[in-house]
Amino acid sequence: MSKKNKNVKKRVTFSDDTTISSHPTHKKKDSNYDRPPVYVRKTLTTVPFHLLGLLYYYVKISNNYETLMLLLTLIPMQIAYLVFQFNRSTIYGNKRLKVNIPLLFITAGGSVLLSVPAMIIIILFGAPFVEHLFQTWLLALHASFLAYPALYSVFNCDFKVGLWKKYFIAIMIGGWLSCVVIPLDWDRDWQVWPIPVVIGTYLGAFVGYSVAAYI
Amino acid sequence: MTDIDVTLDERRIKSEILSSSMDEKRIYRSRIQKFKKSHLHYVILLTAIALLQFIAIAFFTRGFLLTRHVLNDSTPPFNSTNTPYEAQFNKAVILIVDALRFDFVIPVEPEKANPYYHNNFPVLYDHFVQSNSGITDGSSILLKFIADPPTTTLQRLKGLTTGSLPTFIDAGSNFNGDVIQEDNLIKQFYENGKEVLFVGDDTWDALFHPFLSNNSDPYESLNVWDLDTVDNGVINFFNKNLINKSEDSFEWNIMVGHMLGVDHVGHKYGPNHFTMKDKQMQVKSFIDDIINALDDDTLLVVMGDHGMDHTGNHGGDSIDELESTLFMYSKRQNAFNSSIDLTNYNISDNGKSYKQVNQVDLVPTLSYLLGTPIPFNNLGWPIEEIFTSDIEKRSMMRATLHQLNTYKETMGIDLEDGFEFDGSKDHTVEQILNKAFLYGDFPLAEKYQKKFLEICKTLWARFDYHSIATGVTLMTISTVLLIAVSKVVPSIVIDQMVPEFTPWICIMTLVSVACFHGIYYVYHQPPFLNSIIWSTLFGAAIGIIIGCCIPIFDRYSLGWIIIRFFQDSVSDYWTCVGTLFVLIHSLLFTSNSFTIWEDKIVSYLLSTFGMLTFYEFVFLPKRQSTTPLLTAKINENEGTTSGVSSSVANSNSLPLSRFARLLGGYHSLVLLLCTRLASMITICREEQGEYCTPTFLNSTNYSNWCMFLCFLIIFFIPICIKGYYNLTSSYQAAAPIWIDIFLKGILFMNFIYWGLTTTENTVSTLKYDFTIVKFTIARVIAGFTLVAVNIGWLMGPLCIKLNVHNTDVKSHQATILGYTNIYGSEYFLLVINVLMAVILFNKPLAQVSIFLMCNQLLSILEIVDLLKLKENIIGPVVLGLLSYQQFFSTGHQATIPSVQWDVGFILTDTITFPFTHIAIVLNTFGPQILVALSVALLTLWKQPPDVLKPQTLLGRIVSNSCVLILYHTILCLSSFIWVTHFRRHLMVWKIFCPRFLFAALSLIVTQVVVTFGTVAFASGRLIRHINDIFWK
Repeated sequence: MSKKNKNVKKRVTFSDDTTISSHPTHKKKDSNYDRPPVYVRKTLTTVPFHLLGLLYYYVKISNNYETLMLLLTLIPMQIAYLVFQFNRSTIYGNKRLKVNIPLLFITAGGSVLLSVPAMIIIILFGAPFVEHLFQTWLLALHASFLAYPALYSVFNCDFKVGLWKKYFIAIMIGGWLSCVVIPLDWDRDWQVWPIPVVIGTYLGAFVGYSVAAYI
Repeated sequence: MTDIDVTLDERRIKSEILSSSMDEKRIYRSRIQKFKKSHLHYVILLTAIALLQFIAIAFFTRGFLLTRHVLNDSTPPFNSTNTPYEAQFNKAVILIVDALRFDFVIPVEPEKANPYYHNNFPVLYDHFVQSNSGITDGSSILLKFIADPPTTTLQRLKGLTTGSLPTFIDAGSNFNGDVIQEDNLIKQFYENGKEVLFVGDDTWDALFHPFLSNNSDPYESLNVWDLDTVDNGVINFFNKNLINKSEDSFEWNIMVGHMLGVDHVGHKYGPNHFTMKDKQMQVKSFIDDIINALDDDTLLVVMGDHGMDHTGNHGGDSIDELESTLFMYSKRQNAFNSSIDLTNYNISDNGKSYKQVNQVDLVPTLSYLLGTPIPFNNLGWPIEEIFTSDIEKRSMMRATLHQLNTYKETMGIDLEDGFEFDGSKDHTVEQILNKAFLYGDFPLAEKYQKKFLEICKTLWARFDYHSIATGVTLMTISTVLLIAVSKVVPSIVIDQMVPEFTPWICIMTLVSVACFHGIYYVYHQPPFLNSIIWSTLFGAAIGIIIGCCIPIFDRYSLGWIIIRFFQDSVSDYWTCVGTLFVLIHSLLFTSNSFTIWEDKIVSYLLSTFGMLTFYEFVFLPKRQSTTPLLTAKINENEGTTSGVSSSVANSNSLPLSRFARLLGGYHSLVLLLCTRLASMITICREEQGEYCTPTFLNSTNYSNWCMFLCFLIIFFIPICIKGYYNLTSSYQAAAPIWIDIFLKGILFMNFIYWGLTTTENTVSTLKYDFTIVKFTIARVIAGFTLVAVNIGWLMGPLCIKLNVHNTDVKSHQATILGYTNIYGSEYFLLVINVLMAVILFNKPLAQVSIFLMCNQLLSILEIVDLLKLKENIIGPVVLGLLSYQQFFSTGHQATIPSVQWDVGFILTDTITFPFTHIAIVLNTFGPQILVALSVALLTLWKQPPDVLKPQTLLGRIVSNSCVLILYHTILCLSSFIWVTHFRRHLMVWKIFCPRFLFAALSLIVTQVVVTFGTVAFASGRLIRHINDIFWK
């Protein structure tokens, strides 16, 4: 049962849910045109090269695809990426925002929370329900922390979900596409659940963070 | 029934309210006349396209599933100058135990053994060990007996008696075997003056009738729910004629018995059931009795014709299905090879490496032992263990080589290519034959026979490429026609064109059939049109194509259609998604792994649709009202009949209200959840192996918790449907009668039926016989749902209620409840009729799945309505996906053994046309039928009566129906192409060929239901009926 389970997804939906409940007025803010505009600069700085490095470590260096280890490496690197690359490319009202340290940790907590709806979505797409629950949760955590910079920016920039959702979508599409390899009968050790989808979400995130500013 | 009176009342009141002048009535009548005419033309057009597709399928099937060329020659009897061998035995008892898998008869280590089917039947192995180690007198041989696929009884009997290899297409004729034409063992026995007395499975009677003794006693074989009749008949017959011989006993030389109990237990309960143990014990004691009654001059042969898989079914080519048993016994000392070394017969690991022989090998073996000539078509080789001396062995070897050679010459088979022995290719066949002949080299001769058998196997998998190409081409053209008719050409134009199609199709078909008959008679016929029937079919197909093309190309050019098609297929977001789904699904056949995992992939795609709509509802992107194709745009503007401006008619267009978004999100969640839950019900394919845990087993189907779920759905199906009806206040008038009385009542009776079946299956000491009760219930339900309620539906059960606020009936102030969904609510009652029938013919767990399907279906309809996707291809495509997902979750797979043959006996206990066939079709294609009917609901659900003209409505229904057919057609076409591409693939008969058969059958079923059910019967009737009342 380990591999062969179609599935996956990260849904931005749920992050929106949280914002709706905590900030029922956010729609009003959306239409509030005197708010300063938010955008991401079109620059090479946003390219998350560390994700490729992590993938290289995951596929080539680590034995047996240590998904947990990868996650523990991912979290600090995503924070560093956010602080040194992504946040510096985010323009809010014609200026860069300072790094909001408490929000960094709140967002980390938010990512962990986000992994629960993400996991539900993955299971709805067909991931094993009873077995491999921990693996599925790890996958959900990976997806959530890949979305960490975007989630931070959602919190930091007045919940303009519309601008940031393409990052979530990119991660989801990566995971969705990567399911193609699961049913193939190649009998490779990387076809074991959830390795292909982890790799897919990383690639999706890499592409997403690199090109989303241009879309 | 009072509610119906109310309905009639309302009708009168309504007509009074809307009373109108004579002029308007005349306009109305002429409009209905026009509608009737164009309805008829639409039906003819769809029928013509359906015919074209059936012809394409017929051609492809003929080319792909070739039958073997059967020779009717037979081997002449021995004469005084030519008697290669003498009979070893004068009499023989041949007992066939259907589905006797090899591991049933050998000892299995207690820790690995299954208590129900292992170690209950040791008699054969005990005799084998004892006689060959000198403990008891007598001689015996026990071998693993490898069947050739397909492992169905008819094919196996042909193989066992002719020594040849029946081909795949024969598998379909299991239900009506004709007298066998080829030379075979039984015929040889008969011609050599042996009296063959037969008892058991009546397939024998059908195949060998002229050669069997008149005293034979065949029994009805295909009622798999009857475990004992055949076996008791065999046992009594043997008792009378063998075991307790008396003056009444018949004379015989060969006595054949064919017992079905073990096979039927497998089909009914699966091997893992206590009944299996009882049955095996019964057969064991029977064999003990036979052995005691044998004399020295009688040979006993006990064998299975095939095995069974873990579910107890057979027909495919998995190891479990192929491995059977062959046991030969004689009381005579040293009747067979006396130096059998038991260490060569390794029973460890369920006899995995036990010595095995092919089933065809039985033919020369029995010929030798009973001294009859080897049948002409034999491909087998005598079993080595039967020879007591080398001289006998050599003379038999020469006789077999001689027979094989005669057969080879007659068939004109050329063996030279790649013929290789001892590492060198230099040997010619002649050298090898000479060497084997002269020196009596038995192993070399055996190698030669193996090679010959292998070559014959590949030869008979030769395809007729002309027919295949014709089939693929016709199917491609039909796809293009469907695309043109359903989407590319604006439906408003189609509406005008429809009357032109009919005469053109009729004329062109006649002309073309005449032309091809001319070609057939005058010229040398092309190879694939070698009979009058095929050239007629080909002519008709060409005629239909030309007839359809003339009106289309009269108006449009091919280039325009192609450009239009590519523009349309990417014209908007949801069309792209629909195209993507169809593409992904049709590309699944490019790989065996994807085909194997189709069940998961289909529910993955359906979940994707659920997620996308959920996202749409929650996030509401600033997407413009999803622009339908050109067809719809024109209709939106021109379709209103009641003076309502088009902006009002489409007033609830996007963006959606907050409540609509909430509702839509809820429906998306229902769709997602139901899809996920349903996907947990699966009967795994063998190839899915360890990655799939089957949940659709007899043990779960007939378990208490499953019956509890079945009890719950008695209430939940009506409640859920009622919920959807209440969204538009349509739960009025006829709806409560249908849903709360008919549906609930039928579900309750159905629960009783399956409850009784469960009791029969789980309680081993049952005192009562429920057969009569069950037949009665099943027939009442079937008669009611297939006939009675449909006639009731024809009366026009409206689901509306006139809500008159003041007491004055003459007042023109009234609200009609259920007005907005007047088409959909009435139409869905018809779907409920079919739903009730489908549920009866599905097993309990599948009924739960169909309950989920109900919710999925209605949620999809709501979503499609909320997102204004009624004209978009995504609607029919998602419904198509739903039908496939439900096909898999109702306990089916695209394999032959997973067909649930046992439901064929719900209505009758013998095979009776059409009842058995209806049951199996409703079981296998239930979801396809439901979806094919519901496709009209995409247009009709929440369609108020006075917005669209009747023709427009019908045009849209036809357009959506065509997209659904198109979806099945593309899958069918893709499976045609890929099964041809993979024709030499290892898995072609196991994976691709059954999938192609399934694709073709579901296309046929969908075509028939859509054309005659949805469009011809239901839509026309419904639209006229509603317009009778609400015309203006």
